[in-house]
Amino acid sequence: MRELELYFGPQHMGMVGNFSITLKVEGDRILEATANPGYLHRGFEKLMEGRSWIKNFPMVCRINLLDPDHMEMAYAMGVEKLAGIEVPERAQFVRSIYLELARVSSHLFGLWAYANMLGFDTVSNWAMYHRDLVLDLFEELTGGRVYHIYVWPGGVRRDFPDGFTDRVVETLHSIGGCVPDYDTTFFNNKLFSERARGVGVISREEALAMGGVGQVIRATGMKYDVRKVDPYAAYDRVPWEVHTRDDGDAYSRICVVRDEMIESVHMIFNLIDAMPEGDVYNRVPNPLKWKIPAGEAYVRCESSRGELGLYLVSDGGEEPYRVHFRTPSYAHGLAILEKTLVGANIADVGNIMMSMYVVAPEIDR
Amino acid sequence: MTNPLGTRLDATFKGVELRSGVDGRLAVVVPREAIVPVLTFLKEDGYDYLQLISCVDWIDRGEFELVYLLSFYTEEVVGGDGGKQEVLLKATVPREQASAPTATSVFAIAEPHEREIHELYGIHFEGHPRLTPLFLDRNYEIPPFRKDFDTKQYVADVFDRVPPIDEEG
Repeated sequence: MRELELYFGPQHMGMVGNFSITLKVEGDRILEATANPGYLHRGFEKLMEGRSWIKNFPMVCRINLLDPDHMEMAYAMGVEKLAGIEVPERAQFVRSIYLELARVSSHLFGLWAYANMLGFDTVSNWAMYHRDLVLDLFEELTGGRVYHIYVWPGGVRRDFPDGFTDRVVETLHSIGGCVPDYDTTFFNNKLFSERARGVGVISREEALAMGGVGQVIRATGMKYDVRKVDPYAAYDRVPWEVHTRDDGDAYSRICVVRDEMIESVHMIFNLIDAMPEGDVYNRVPNPLKWKIPAGEAYVRCESSRGELGLYLVSDGGEEPYRVHFRTPSYAHGLAILEKTLVGANIADVGNIMMSMYVVAPEIDR
Repeated sequence: MTNPLGTRLDATFKGVELRSGVDGRLAVVVPREAIVPVLTFLKEDGYDYLQLISCVDWIDRGEFELVYLLSFYTEEVVGGDGGKQEVLLKATVPREQASAPTATSVFAIAEPHEREIHELYGIHFEGHPRLTPLFLDRNYEIPPFRKDFDTKQYVADVFDRVPPIDEEG
C-alpha cells in the first residue's frame, strides 16, 4: 500500500491544544510519528532572566494554563531554597490543600478534554461544570479563576477566609457524589473501555527508559510519586495512597487519574482536619530590591501530570540568572508519544495523546 | 570528601572534581570528553533517570556549563541518613565553536533536551541523530537564549515597527 504523510495538527478534531504530529501512514496504520512542538514557545525562561524574582510569579503560572498552581509552587520552592526562607507550618498545609484543589480542577479539565475528544459529550460537560465549582473556590480565595498567584516565597498570599474550609468540603462532597455517575457513563461504560483498553500500551521498562513520570508510569504499576519519594509542603503529615494500574494502556492511565482525583479529595479532608493554627507568611526582604545569594537549586513537585522540576541559578543579583523547567509533558509528548504512536490507528492519535495528558504549552514554555 | 560514589568516580575517571552538592546532591564536574563514560558509569550504578539537561551561559567566563541532573526511580523516600543521593553532573564547554558529545546513546530522553540546547544556545552535540530545530521557526544570528542576545532589541527590531501608510501594499 502507498505511504502517505499526514499532518495531524491543531486543525484536526482529534488534536487538543496547540501541538502537531507529522504521521507517516500506510492505510490507517501509523509507521512513524514526529512531534512538532513550538506553537506556544514564548521564551518564558529567557524573559524571566530579565525580571526581578517576585515579578516572575505572574509569568511562571502562565507556562501551563491547565495547572498553573504547581508552576507557582515549584518556583516559590526554588526561590525559598536559594534564599534560605522558612515556611510556617500552617502555610505548608494551606499550600497542600490549595495544590490538591488545583489537581482536582486540572484532572477535571483533563477529563473534559479526553471525553470531549472521544465524543462523550455528557461526561465532558459534567467535568467542565465541576471544574467551574472548584474555580469558584479559587476565585474566593485568590481573586482569580485560572491564574491565582497565591503561593509566594515564604508562604501564601493570605490565609483562608472565614468558613472557606466548609465551602471546600461542601463543594468536594457535591462533586464526589457524582463519581458513581461518572463511573456508569464513562469509566465502566463498555463504549469507552473498549475504545481505550489495549490502546497506546507502553511497558514499564520503555516508560522508564524514556523518562516517563506521573500517570504514564503509575499506569504500569510503578508507585512513583514525588509527593511520596521527595515530600514537600504537608504531604508527609497525613496518610494517603499512591494509586496504580498494571496494564500501561490508555484505560489504565485515565483510571489512575480518576483514582488520584478521589484520593486528592480524601487528602484535602485529612489536611483540613490536621491543619494547625498560626501564620501563613514569613516576611521576606523588600521584594522590589531583593538580591538572592549566588547559588543553584533543583526542586521538584508532583504536578497533575507528573514530576515537575525546576533548575534555578542565581548570580547574586536581583533577577534569576537561569530558569529551566523540567515539565512532565516534555518526556511524554516528545519521546514516549512518538514511540507509542507507531503501529496505532489514526483514530487513536488523540486518544493516546490525551491519555498521556500531553499539554503543549508546558513543552514549549 | 568521604562520599563512596565520589571516591569511586575519582578512582575510575581522570580529571573528576567533586564539589559540595546542592541540597544533598553530589555535584561532579567532569571534562567534556568524560560526559558519556561518566553517565554510562552512573547509569550502571542505578541512576536510571535523567531528569534534566540544562545549560547555563556564563558569558563572563566565556563558557557554557552543561548540567545533567541524575536521579533514580524508586518507591521509597529519597535521601535520608546514608541514603542514595542524586547527582548533578557538570561539564564546561567554551562559547566559541561550542560542541559536546551526545548522551543519546545512554539516555533516550537526552534527545529532545539536546535538541533544545542546540537550538537555544547553539551547542553542537556530536553524534546526535536528529539535531533539527525544536521550537523556533525563524533564524537567529545569535541563538536566542545566549546572554548576549538582547530580547528587547530583537522585539523592537522585528515587531515594533509600524510601516508608514504609503509603504503598504
